[in-house]
Order: sequence, then structure tokens, then C-alpha cells
Amino acid sequence: MAAIAHAERLPARPWVSRFTKPEALTGYFLISPAVFLMLVLLAYPFVLAVWISMTDRVLGEPGKFIWFQNFFKLLQDPLFRETVWNSFIYTITTVFFKMFLGVILALLLNQEIPSRNLIRGAILLPWIVPTSLSVLTWLWMFDSLFSIVNYILLGLGLISRKVPWLGDPFWAMVSVIIVNTWRGLPFFAISFLAGLMTIPRELYEAAEVDGALRFRQFWHITLPLLQPIIAVVVLFSTIWTFADFQIVYILTHGGPINATQIFATMAYDVALVAGRIGEGSAISLFLFPALLVVIILMLKYLRRE
Amino acid sequence: MRKTQRLAHSGGGRAISRRKFLGVTAGATAALSFGTFIRSGQGAASLRILTWSNTLNAMDDTLREQAKQYTKEKGVEVAFEFINQPDLPSKTAAAVESGAGPDIITTWSDGAHLHDKALIDVSDVAQPLGNQLKGWTNIAKDIGIVNKVWKSVPWGIIPIAVVYRTDWAKEVGYDKFPDTYDEMLVLCRKMKEKGHSSGFALGRSIGDANQSHYPMLWAHGGAECTKDSKRVAINSPGTAKAVDYVRRLFKESESEDVFSWDDSSNNRAFLAGELACTGNAASIYWAETKNAPQLRAVTNHALWPKGPAGRFGYSSALGLGIFKFSKFQKEAKEFITWLLQPKQYSAWIGVGEGQIAGLLNFYEDDPVWKKDPKLELIREIPKYVRMPGYPGPPTRHAAEAMVKYVLVNMFARACKGMSTPDTIKQAEAELKEIYSKA
Repeated sequence: MAAIAHAERLPARPWVSRFTKPEALTGYFLISPAVFLMLVLLAYPFVLAVWISMTDRVLGEPGKFIWFQNFFKLLQDPLFRETVWNSFIYTITTVFFKMFLGVILALLLNQEIPSRNLIRGAILLPWIVPTSLSVLTWLWMFDSLFSIVNYILLGLGLISRKVPWLGDPFWAMVSVIIVNTWRGLPFFAISFLAGLMTIPRELYEAAEVDGALRFRQFWHITLPLLQPIIAVVVLFSTIWTFADFQIVYILTHGGPINATQIFATMAYDVALVAGRIGEGSAISLFLFPALLVVIILMLKYLRRE
Repeated sequence: MRKTQRLAHSGGGRAISRRKFLGVTAGATAALSFGTFIRSGQGAASLRILTWSNTLNAMDDTLREQAKQYTKEKGVEVAFEFINQPDLPSKTAAAVESGAGPDIITTWSDGAHLHDKALIDVSDVAQPLGNQLKGWTNIAKDIGIVNKVWKSVPWGIIPIAVVYRTDWAKEVGYDKFPDTYDEMLVLCRKMKEKGHSSGFALGRSIGDANQSHYPMLWAHGGAECTKDSKRVAINSPGTAKAVDYVRRLFKESESEDVFSWDDSSNNRAFLAGELACTGNAASIYWAETKNAPQLRAVTNHALWPKGPAGRFGYSSALGLGIFKFSKFQKEAKEFITWLLQPKQYSAWIGVGEGQIAGLLNFYEDDPVWKKDPKLELIREIPKYVRMPGYPGPPTRHAAEAMVKYVLVNMFARACKGMSTPDTIKQAEAELKEIYSKA
């Protein structure tokens, strides 16, 4: 009673003092390393990249401010237009396959099978192994002369002549899509699996009692309840895939004949090899406004859910 | 009193609050970190040289030994850093932008033109060397001089020759490699009819693809720009002839794999006995000693053939530039001068067995060319070498066009079935976009 009375008698704190109280200062102190790292490693490079993208800077020279001229010029560049098209094809196709296969894999991993935990851990390997190393292996597997994939397919009689995995514009795009899907699938599968594990079993039992078959259970229970996780994972994967560099750089370097050139690889060539860093920054930031809108809409949708 | 408080008091001192503990720890960490920022003192001079990792490791080993020797003689620490050649542009860009990095950089082909503002004037190194060693070749001046000032001391050139199988050529009636492109087409076609394809990279191979196809363009009278580099000139009868030739060469004699080749692909194919003719440095011949000795006797080199407009070649020429931010510019100049002296330079290219040729006329008579008759004509190649941008000087626009594979893609599209006028028009649009920039 006395404690409650004492609590009722406490005066209201002015809002300023909330920030100057010793506890608050300790809090700021503790988060300051993280904030510092974010400012230095994320915010500063980003702001600098935006600034540089609005100049005509070349390596070693200050350049002058030219507003959005780089962006307008890029739209007139046939190579850049091809890059935009390739990037959208690459991203949309890989995200779709990762989502589709991720759901299937998550459903399989959610079953009661022997060594389930071991298998779940092993599934993560493509995601964990450093991308550069795994893609170098794929480079060998798709090699024009020594491709093990062609060797196996020819041996099984599934093809009559070797597939030019990296030498044909269509097959080169297929190759980078395969590798990106292989690399990103574990992230999707494990995220969806985590979502599946939170769905109460009673819902499925009730649906079974009502006579719902497996597909209807999946369509009316699993999918709706997985929707928020699917949305978040798809959002992250879309951003990452638009910014992808390693897979295309190592496998095809944007070729053949620019068939797999995407934003990051083109930005690398233009900025670091040809020395036009103003233009290179503009290439890498080209999609930023669109992606920002997508992120805002997606987060609004999730908040509503 | 609770246990934790008793412990805090047990030493006889005041209780240590969590806040105080954190504060002291943070302060100590900051003090220690500050200490590492204080340099241990300038001390003796030390040079760092960033260069490419040579396919012939023996050449890099020679440079390491020479660095140690220089340190012993002059007391200046010298360290070479060897990196993958495709990574050189990005590392150079990082050094230029950050104003920190190696003292000496290897400029690759047009590197001095791209980064001339970040490099110091090295005329006081290049000119005396030229006077001492019978003068610089024309290609040396092309890569080293920017706006009439030496910005890079030409270090060497990797001559790209035609590499071919003598046994398969003999099989179809050729004891010597043809001297014209038309005859080369006939030879390669006949070899393919016997089941032996040729291959000139048409993929994202910054070395082989460009170095095989730029000469084909120039030899047929084509060029990407005018002599003053002001206008795009790709849409010409000469270019059309070159495109038609490359299409025929591909369809009648080459492997389908060339579109996916990088710089090592033709080496591997040749060493595997799968390739009859390609464009490459002497590295294939060198590698055969270890990896395919049975092929060494049936591999030979040839000059790039003549076309209607003459004989041309394109090879990567290397230079040594000194960054403005280097604290040891005087020592860097002295080291470069020492490195290009006959005792050191001859030892280096001697180990290379034709991989690198000198850009000073003195080294045309170097003993390395007498080691093996099959290497002798490689020293002729630099005479015909031109740079992207020819007939104009190597400019930033030409460098960008090469990095974007504009010309290689023009030929590749033709080989994939696009008509000659259409593929040239597309290349013209891409070049005009590049050349319209400042």
C-alpha cells in the first residue's frame, strides 16, 4: 500500500531529463559503437555515392556537380538499357524460383524424417559457403571444354550435343539464374520452415476433421499464415539480387555479348576499370528510388497484417 | 550486505559501479587504440610495388630476388605485391581515390592515360634510360607519354602472337604459317575439316579477345575513330570487311566455345590438345614444358597476318608509374632505373622465355631471343603493335570502349547471325555514346 502510494506521488518527469538521466546516457554510450559503425560503413558511403552520382567525376579528379545528367545519359545508352532488362529478368526469375522451391523444401523439411536436424543444417551449406568459392566451382562445372554437367547429361543421353552454358546468351542467363537460385534457396527454405513451425497443429487437425485434403489445408491455412514471412523474405531477396555482383562477375562477367550484364557488374566496369566513377555510381544507384518505394509499400502492408 | 557488494569492498577500496567499470574500460581501449595510430617512425625508405601475378611464376620469383638484392645494395626495403591481373584496375582505382597505397603501380596498356593526374612526371627516369639503351619503341611512347609528359616508365610488352600446331598445319599442306588473313582462313578451315578447330576468344576475355580482334579490324582498314579521336569512324567499308572476315573465320574454322572463353580458356584448350590455332602470348609454349611436353615439338608461333591495310598487332604493354602520394618518390625513381638496367632486366625476361619483350631498342638483341628459334619472331611483334584508339592516340574513350567490349561484341553478334550493317550500327551507337562524354 505504501509502495503504491509512493508511486502515485512521483512527479511527472520533464521529457528533456529523460535523455539526460544517467540510465539514458549509459544507453547511448552502449549503442554508440553500433551507431558509429553504421554511420561510417553505411551512411557515409551511401551519401558519398549519391553525391558522386551527381557529378562527372573520373578517378583522381574532383569533377563538377551536374545534377541528374548521369541518370538521363544512362537512359540513352543502349548498353545500359540492356543491363536494366537483364537485371529485371535475373531478379524476377530467381526470386520466383527461390520462393517456389523454398516453400516446397520447407514443407519437406517440416516432415518427421530421420536425421532431420542434420539435413536441415546441411541444406544451409550453399548459403554459408563463401560465394566466390562456390561460384568458381560452378565455373568449372559449366566450362566449355570440361563441363561435368555436359559430361553427365551426354552420358545419360539427355542431350546429343554439349550445352554452351556460358557461351550462349540464353544459356548464360540460365546458368546465372541456376547458380543464384542454388545459393539463395537455403535462406528461403529455412525462413519458411521457421514460419511453418509456428503454425499451430490444431488448425490442421481441425481442417482434417472438417474433411479438408492436404492441398486445401496448404492453400487455406499454410499459405495465408506464411504470407508475412514470404513478403519479408521476397523483399530482402529482391534487394539483394538486384545488387548481386559475385555470381555474374565470376561466371560470365556480364557476357556473352552483354547478355548477363547487370547493374553491379556494369557499375564495376564503368567506375573502376574505365575510371568514370560518377557514371558508375549513377548505375549502381539507379534503382534506389524504385526500391525505396517498394520497401515502404511492403512495410506498410506488413504493418497492416 | 549482498555478496557482490561484499566482494567489491573486500579489497578495502570503494565499491566499483558498473558505470565506472565501463568508463574505465572504454578509456583504456581508446588509449590503446590511439597508440596504434602513432607510427613507429619514418625510419629507412621502403617501397611497395603493386603488379600483376605473372602466369610464369619464375618471372615473379626473379623480381622477388632482385628486390632482396636491391635492399642489400642500397638499404631500401622493396616489396612486390603480385595480384590477379583483372584485379589491378580496381586496386589502382582504390589507391587513386584514397590517396594511399603502393608507391609504384603497374600501368596496364592505357593505365597511364587513365590515371595520369595521380602519377608524377617520370621524364627524368625515362629519358636517360632511352638515351642509355638505344631509345624507346613507338609503342613505349604511346603508353608512357601523356600530354607530352612521361607518366609511366614502359616496363615491357607481352607480345601476342599466333600460336598454332605445326603437325596439323603440315597435315593439310602448310610448312609455314600463312602471311595473309585470307590464307590463314584457308589453313584454319582445312584443319577444321580434319577435326581440329581453331579459336579466337569472343567472350569476356580482356586480353585474348581484344588482342585477337583489334588487329583483324585494323588490318582490314577499319578503325573505331578518326586520327584526332574526335569522331566515331567505325561505320566504314574497312570495318564491314573485317566483320565479314571474322564471321567466315568463326563459321568455317573455329570452335563454338569461344563465346564463353576468358583469358585462360585457350591456354587450357591448347594444352589439352583441343586447339589448332589461337592468339596468345608465349605462355602456352612455356606451359607445355611442364604440362604437355609432347606438344612442345609441334607448337610454333607466327606473326599476325597481313590484311589489305597492312600488318597489325595489339599486345598489353606494361609500365611503372609512381603515385603522387608516395613518400619515397626519389627512391622509387632510382629503383625503376635500376630494374631496367641490362643486368636485372635481361635476367627477368630471360626467365620469361618470350613472355615479355623489352620496350627499349637495346633489348631487341637480348640473348633470350636466341634461346629457342621458335621464340625469335616474337621480338618482331611489338613493331606492329597499336593501341585501342588507333589511328588516334590511346584515349579514355578508347579504353572505355575496350572495357565494354564494344568491338568484340560487334564481331560476336555477327558470328551469332546478325547482319554486318546491323552489328556495325549497334557498335556505332555504343561508341558514339562513349565518345560523346568529356
